[in-house]
Amino acid sequence: MSNDKFYEEISEAIVSLDKEKTIELANKAIQEKMNLLEVIEKGFGAGIRKIGDLWDEGEFFLPELMLGGTIMQESMQLLFPHIGTERDSISNGKVVIATIEGDIHSIGKTIVATMLSANGFEVFDLGADIPAEKIIEVAVEKNADVIGVSALLTTTMIGQKKIIEILESKGIRDKFKVIFGGAPVSNAWVSECKADGFAGSAVEAVNLVKNLLKI
Amino acid sequence: MLFHDWLKNDSKIILFDGGMGSEIFKRGITPGKLPDTLNVDRPDIIFEIHKSYYDAGADMCQTSTFGSSFLNLQGYKIESQIKELNENALKNIKRACPPNRLIVGDIGPSGVFKHPVGKATAEQWVSSYVKQVNFLEKGVDLWHIETISDIEEMEAAIKAIREISKKPIISSMTYKKTKRGFFTIMGDSLEKCVRKQEDLNVYVIGANCTLGSDEMIGLIKELKELTDKPISAKPNAGQPRVDQNNRAVYDQPIKDFVNDIREIIKVGVKVVGGCCGTSPTTIKEIRKLIDSLEN
Repeated sequence: MSNDKFYEEISEAIVSLDKEKTIELANKAIQEKMNLLEVIEKGFGAGIRKIGDLWDEGEFFLPELMLGGTIMQESMQLLFPHIGTERDSISNGKVVIATIEGDIHSIGKTIVATMLSANGFEVFDLGADIPAEKIIEVAVEKNADVIGVSALLTTTMIGQKKIIEILESKGIRDKFKVIFGGAPVSNAWVSECKADGFAGSAVEAVNLVKNLLKI
Repeated sequence: MLFHDWLKNDSKIILFDGGMGSEIFKRGITPGKLPDTLNVDRPDIIFEIHKSYYDAGADMCQTSTFGSSFLNLQGYKIESQIKELNENALKNIKRACPPNRLIVGDIGPSGVFKHPVGKATAEQWVSSYVKQVNFLEKGVDLWHIETISDIEEMEAAIKAIREISKKPIISSMTYKKTKRGFFTIMGDSLEKCVRKQEDLNVYVIGANCTLGSDEMIGLIKELKELTDKPISAKPNAGQPRVDQNNRAVYDQPIKDFVNDIREIIKVGVKVVGGCCGTSPTTIKEIRKLIDSLEN
């Protein structure tokens, strides 16, 4: 089978939400010593992007998004160890991502984390309701390139500004690109906080991170 | 009972209240805190908002308990306050409610989804809602289960109420508009939701939030085709933006909202009000509209 057909088969398996098939294909890619970063980008990435399109079109809903995200995460867990040290030098960059303190919304953030993984980034997903100080602590520890902060409530988005303020007070603002996500976020908010950008969807998030890191 | 009388009176359009969360945000709230906690921390604010809606002409207002189910409070690590929050919510609205108006028990979403989005089970939902309903039952005249995105969660909430209460239920889902029609974010179609709510024999079937008043017209038209039960509509005042003070602001002119409500009433709703972004001024204008239509 040609590589393109194989990537298509992976993409279709993901869009069909067929976990068994997707894992089988991931294992096949490992066994046949394929270029796993390419498999992730052109196979898995294409599949999750198609799921995003189907959400936009009103064909897929939250359950499908979550199932797709879970399949992706499990596939990535299978593939990443086989990329190993090669990945560290080829990895597109490190991203620390979390939903800010006081906010328990996590679906969008989780999907972004999955898409970034699928696109070759090393992602540290801290979960939801995470204090700004903790997010920064992990970013420093992991020597991350990007900090991604999600807030879905107008009452919690102030925590996104706090991230920038703490980085500035520590004199390490320039070490990280800081991006925001979440329904109430806008260009005006990003400007006010002096963040590096925001993304309204997982696909946009990947493109934003790639642009910021000049990939 | 007054609500039953209103339902039987074909010429009566029941005026519900407007948004509570957006009114609280206007008055300032500590970021990250659940608005319902103001029932204990600032009961004067909650009382004042309820009073302003009754004064504006609302026939009924709902308790400020949208987030006070056990599971939702657990998400904020304050489930131990469930009794205090719900009982104080009742105290605050009772102070405000004039004679011949009603108090509605507000039951909002649990904040936890079922598989594969989350880990909630139907039993957990029922148990969570039972705990809340127990504290509200004595003080309410009827129930409004609102802003629910999963018809199975709605079923659990109805079941929970019926374990304790015989009072009427308005069941209101929240829908988004897609290219294929109106669906909840969990993928439940309007038709599927209506069928289930009819099977469960609620008093009133409704929709609230997510949609602005203009899009709600379309939904209510479809709802009218699907059911003979009385219908409730509580749309948002358009979509919000965040202003320079980091507050959610709704820019839709009240007259536009009221014009859409006029259309919604023409389609044939029984209960009408507003959700996020609406205010006592909005309700006052709808009161004028309803009075002009009834005369």
